[in-house]
Amino acid sequence: MSLNEKLKKYRLSESEYQLICDQLGREPQGVEWALYSALWSEHCSYKSSKVHLKKLFNKSEKVLQSFGENAGVIDLGQGERVAFKMESHNHPSFIEPYQGAATGVGGILRDIFTMGARPVALANYLCFGESKADRMETLVKGVVSGISGYGNCVGVPNITGQTEFHSSYNNNILVNAFALGLYRPGEKVFTAKASGPGNLVVYVGAKTGRDGVHGASMASESFDDNNDAKKPNVQIGDPFFEKLLIESCIEVMRDDLVVAIQDMGAAGLTSSSFEMASSGGVGFNIALDKVPLRDGQMMPEEILLSESQERMLLICEPKNLAKIEAVFAKWNLDATAIGEVTENKMIKLTWHNEVLCEIDPDHLVENAPLYNRPYNEWTSPNKVDALQMNECNDLQDSLLKQLSSEQGCARNWIYDQYDQRVGAQTISDCSGSVGMVRLPDSERALGVVLGCRPHVMRIDSQVGGYDSIAYPSLELAAKGFETIAVTDCLNFGNPEKPELMSEFVASVQAMSEQCEKLNAPIISGNVSLYNETNDNNITSTPATGLVGVRDTLTGPANAFQGEGDVVLLAQLKQASLSGMHSELNGGKEQFCGAVDAGEVAQFNQFIRELVTSNNVTSSRVVGKFGLAYALAKMTSVGVGCEVTTEKATGSNLTEKYFAEHLYQVVLTLPEKDWESLQSNSFPFELNAIGKTTAGQFKVDDQINLTAEQVSNAYSSWTTHFEKLS
Amino acid sequence: MKKIGVVRFLGTNCDRDIWQAVEAKGYEPQWLWYENEFESSDYDAVIIPGGFSYGDYLRCGAMASKTPVMKSVVEFANSGKPVLGICNGFQVLCEVGLLPGALVRNHSGQFIDKWVVLKVENSCSHWGENVETCRLPIAHGEGCYHISEHDYKNIKDAGQVWLTYEDNPNGSVADVAGVMNAGKNVAGLMPHPERALFEWMGGQDGFNFF
Amino acid sequence: MKIGVKILPREEVLDSSGRTVTKTLQSNSFKVSDCRVGKYLEIEVDAKNEAEAKEQVQKMAEFVLYNPLTENYQLEVL
Repeated sequence: MSLNEKLKKYRLSESEYQLICDQLGREPQGVEWALYSALWSEHCSYKSSKVHLKKLFNKSEKVLQSFGENAGVIDLGQGERVAFKMESHNHPSFIEPYQGAATGVGGILRDIFTMGARPVALANYLCFGESKADRMETLVKGVVSGISGYGNCVGVPNITGQTEFHSSYNNNILVNAFALGLYRPGEKVFTAKASGPGNLVVYVGAKTGRDGVHGASMASESFDDNNDAKKPNVQIGDPFFEKLLIESCIEVMRDDLVVAIQDMGAAGLTSSSFEMASSGGVGFNIALDKVPLRDGQMMPEEILLSESQERMLLICEPKNLAKIEAVFAKWNLDATAIGEVTENKMIKLTWHNEVLCEIDPDHLVENAPLYNRPYNEWTSPNKVDALQMNECNDLQDSLLKQLSSEQGCARNWIYDQYDQRVGAQTISDCSGSVGMVRLPDSERALGVVLGCRPHVMRIDSQVGGYDSIAYPSLELAAKGFETIAVTDCLNFGNPEKPELMSEFVASVQAMSEQCEKLNAPIISGNVSLYNETNDNNITSTPATGLVGVRDTLTGPANAFQGEGDVVLLAQLKQASLSGMHSELNGGKEQFCGAVDAGEVAQFNQFIRELVTSNNVTSSRVVGKFGLAYALAKMTSVGVGCEVTTEKATGSNLTEKYFAEHLYQVVLTLPEKDWESLQSNSFPFELNAIGKTTAGQFKVDDQINLTAEQVSNAYSSWTTHFEKLS
Repeated sequence: MKKIGVVRFLGTNCDRDIWQAVEAKGYEPQWLWYENEFESSDYDAVIIPGGFSYGDYLRCGAMASKTPVMKSVVEFANSGKPVLGICNGFQVLCEVGLLPGALVRNHSGQFIDKWVVLKVENSCSHWGENVETCRLPIAHGEGCYHISEHDYKNIKDAGQVWLTYEDNPNGSVADVAGVMNAGKNVAGLMPHPERALFEWMGGQDGFNFF
Repeated sequence: MKIGVKILPREEVLDSSGRTVTKTLQSNSFKVSDCRVGKYLEIEVDAKNEAEAKEQVQKMAEFVLYNPLTENYQLEVL
């Protein structure tokens, strides 16, 4: 094989090849090619994004573990801590939706319990193409049943999620999974930092097969028309096996039998062993012939790169091996010592006593190449001095169209397939704006919201970046939660195109600034680049997962609760967006004004204090499609409202109803509570705009619908996805 | 204090939930591991929690029904002591022959998680006494109750139909959501009462089931 | 010796995956009037002859492999 052929096979560039030769003082040989290929892939090395990720706001007094581990860990006080992270499984899910989504769930769960935390919540951020796009029904069905099939079986509840539909995802869907694990008081945080020369390297879980060989470098490539040929790369998940792995791993950690532990994710045994050694500053001797195989014909390179699921690597003192074996045996699993930790920082891989390679793990992990890809300062091309939206003639009809559109209709077809209550700690499920589980020791509520609104990203990457944090954080505040920390999953197109790198930098900087103002650090995350097919890029989608805490178990409901409450509108008045209404009706994408992250944080605190110190009966942040849609969604179970929009932002009714003003929150209060509160002076606009009523939904003299008409329009999923009914 | 045995198979995932419910009632829970048999006299009642025992592979509840602990559960039930199976536990009790009928794939072919309203057809003195109608969550893919017409007539006449759905979510014969054995000491249901113990869970109708 | 165990849902039991497969085939213009989805097991046993092998697997089938309330099974020598 010529050098050029080799570089192509192992997906390395010429400059990377030079760097390898400089590191080694010679040409790479044998399995070294495969090692460099995997660990220097975009997926493992973050080589295009790392220079920007390093600048993220990632510290606060509550952070116990930030980037560099399998998941971030945050202190909630009172002895309770949580580990959480979000990760993409976009490419595998497009090729084989069921297994792609299922193994995405399995992988993110392993990232959590490998830290010693018991997984207690799952969430999913999904972006699909238009319902009529080729294969889309199959993809929706496959992804949803994959998540459901895996998550339900392992017994971790799905408590929230977000699902978007847009043509930019027609050929490249996004499947991002979020998981959160809980440490109860006294439970220890584990890391992947190997230590102690003479300690054993132990392989546990499923046997190694050919699944997903070269998966990491595949995920770092664009799609083309030959995706069927990539099928053998897709890994197969076994949720039952994962459940046994969760229980056995947590048991050996609780018994303190483990020095360090890491799951075998992308690039399998290679990434787990090299990262463990590198972060611990030690070496390993590993006998690859001792790795348990499903297929005895496998060669060392395949063993190193296999992405077979449900496998972990752990380090233990030799005296604890027998105890570890016993725990795994109890759960019907095997634990096999495949090597040992060494003093000198070298990884030595052998195959039936023959040395395959001896290499410094830092070469592959710490000293992987970093690229500062070209980008331009952000100039907000869609910014205008004042919004110019086409005025609607029939506002009621437009609202009904929004409610029944695929962008606006109910998502319960999806979440009804997820077990949202297993664990018996769920306070609020996927039907609410915030997923909530109970913290059993302190009797507080933990809230999870996923963020990033792709339609805002399509209008402006910087505003969209702020919004990826500001909007979900406000959703938490509207239910009385303080935002504590953030994880992200940055889904972008080809970073080698400067216009896309500019979107990446603009949005990530804005996210970081907003996090800093909220004192909510980003503690873990994942980057998925090259989300393009035949040169068409997806909407840049920096998905986020926000975690918050509330002192009480219960709080404001999502829907109006009873007749006669006062409907309040709180407004920040910063930027206004033409929004999803314009997108749906073929209008121009534009915005005016600007986001001030500091004021957003103050508004957030104002809303949270309003909610926690008053008897707020229901609340909702105004989001896609604007104010009318938000009020309609609060109208259900027979309680509607009668409001006027004089006090709402907007120069005409179309803008008041359907433009998206950053930010507005609708709240309801019993009348007498409002009477005593209204004389106060507020730092932000807070106005009564109407009352809740029985069964009718009225806005000015423009909209007059029954609660039933609203809910019929909203439940129109099956008109878009006929075969999925 | 009442001692309640809580059965754990490989893949059981509502075990801690049942533990929480039993403790909330002021009883003493104890684990019953699938590999071990137990003495009937050591427990006042036994609960088989939900989950995916053995991954639901082959057939829901089939492999769990062949474990050593189930030998003891059968003896325990035959001595007249109370046994409750929830969701996968209900499937296991049908598979082992303590309860009539079988549970097959939901008519929709999909897993369903939602709150349902149930009617108590015949009260079960051991589990859910004083309950008439209640609202509980379901979460299952194979909760469609199947029984032959002839056998259904028998259990109906004998008062063994325990719970029915107000709005049948899964295609069960005659809307059946829960049944009892002839002695009425063994009961099984698809809904999850342990997920409806307190207001913060969204409802507390499940509290009386334990 | 290898014995195959074919397990199919009984006629009177609604076979939801069979129904779904039927629909999918029909909507892709295949002429299908019905389809049942079952499972197939291959079991390797030590036995002197076919009769003995079948007898062993029959015991297994009746022990756990199929549920007579909802399924039928057939054995075949492979």
